[in-house]
Amino acid sequence: MSALQKLRANLRVIFMAFEIEMRQSFTDAFVLFGIVVQPMIVAFMALWMLKDQVADYAIFVVVGSGMTGLWTTLLFQGGNSITGERWTGTLEPLSCAPAPLRMVVTGKLLANITQSLLSIVFCYGFISLIMGLPLSIAEPWLFAGSIILTVVAFIAFGLLIGSLFILNPDVQRFQNGLEFVVYIFSGFLFPIALLPMWSTPFSYILTPYWAARALHAASSGTGNQQEILFCWGMLILLTIVYVIFSKYLFRVILKKAREDATLNMQ
Amino acid sequence: MEKLKLNIKIFFQGAYLSYVGLFRWLRPSTYFATLVFGPLTQMLFFVLIGTYAQGSTKAQFYVIGNALMNAAMSGIYGVTMSIGGERWNGTLPYLFGAPANRMSLFLGRAFMHILNGMFGVITGLFWGWLLFHVDYSATDPWALLLTILITTFSTAGLGLLMGCIGLITRNVMFVNNTVYFVLLVFSGANLELSSLPRWMQMVSDYLPLTRGIASTRMIIAGQGLTEVIPLLVQEFGIGMMFALLGYTLFRWFEFTAKKRGTLEVF
Repeated sequence: MSALQKLRANLRVIFMAFEIEMRQSFTDAFVLFGIVVQPMIVAFMALWMLKDQVADYAIFVVVGSGMTGLWTTLLFQGGNSITGERWTGTLEPLSCAPAPLRMVVTGKLLANITQSLLSIVFCYGFISLIMGLPLSIAEPWLFAGSIILTVVAFIAFGLLIGSLFILNPDVQRFQNGLEFVVYIFSGFLFPIALLPMWSTPFSYILTPYWAARALHAASSGTGNQQEILFCWGMLILLTIVYVIFSKYLFRVILKKAREDATLNMQ
Repeated sequence: MEKLKLNIKIFFQGAYLSYVGLFRWLRPSTYFATLVFGPLTQMLFFVLIGTYAQGSTKAQFYVIGNALMNAAMSGIYGVTMSIGGERWNGTLPYLFGAPANRMSLFLGRAFMHILNGMFGVITGLFWGWLLFHVDYSATDPWALLLTILITTFSTAGLGLLMGCIGLITRNVMFVNNTVYFVLLVFSGANLELSSLPRWMQMVSDYLPLTRGIASTRMIIAGQGLTEVIPLLVQEFGIGMMFALLGYTLFRWFEFTAKKRGTLEVF
């Protein structure tokens, strides 16, 4: 198979997985909670708490609350993207199929993240229409670029956490707690300068931190172009690192499924 | 007298066995992740937003509010899963087929979660002391303990009602999560109730937690039991109202399901 044929085959797998995941998860009320209810409630609370303190707080809250929806969906939907196959008994057939497992999971994650982008739209609509606050994006093109990079970076992050969760259920036990950990370390709704100095490196290795920083800077106009481009650079760098690491983890998953036959015994 | 003894036995046996059924197969790490780590990260998130907005002097307000939310975590999620879990685990027909007293059986499901919730609230207050130096020197410990007990009971009352709803819906986690996040807004855990619109204050008047949080804040500020007793009586009354409503629904669902042969229909 030539490289072009391989690429086309992989894209087809991604698209099919994307379509199936979209159809399945839109019937899941928990997805609705993650992308509609929770971000709007967080947005409401953050609006009330920050209204007298932060300049351009409305757009800051839209982006920050939208990011919470993005991360919650990635953590629970993306984090279970492989484990969910185990629950439905389709993991082994999937890992033995000629279609690469990583491409299938990539398609699923793309669907999850595309859906979760709606959380930003809902927060925007909620704050703009219902709360009646004026909203404007200072740098629309840089904001759009940041969104695209955020989607790619979150897919890479999803590949990492999805494979970690299936390989080590002890990590998955902390799934609920990890939701707020990333809200905190990524500075979705407050600057990480509030946190102790020792925690800063944890923020720096998280793509949600750089995504939130780029999106906040582009939407509020608080950062210059150089700062946003630097965030983009970090997003690309970390995405590459996550992809390389997840490739190794997927190899372990496939070995456990195909050679050791112990994947279902974790 | 014999009947009373039997009902008390059913109450405690049901309480113990449903709790064991919920946590039996889990490791201590799961318990820790669910009831210690998760609530801690949630508290940190809201305390940090609050202190970012209003300064570190307001940390106490958010610590107390979010510590009390731990009562809702056990009361709503734990109790709901104990009751709703009967349906998912296929034990509902045995439960409805047994001649045991329904009231003992139903209320017993909340007992262990009330203890759990109290432990969660005390842990939350401990984190507040350790991480945010909340001062408890003026606190009457017995008044605080009574307040925590009544607040946890009232949220468990709401949990009993939610558990009944779990018997007739597939989307119980959607309902639970929504109710929990609604409480975050309306109970005054993170927002000053007096700053909210009038209609929101009216809603919060009919919810559990609202008066429990207010009482806890008063007690930690140095007020005594006599000052908070009216609030605690109302909090207890609201808990009873929800528990009785839940029990009524429980009996009605039992009656309808038996009559129509729709027990466990999803």
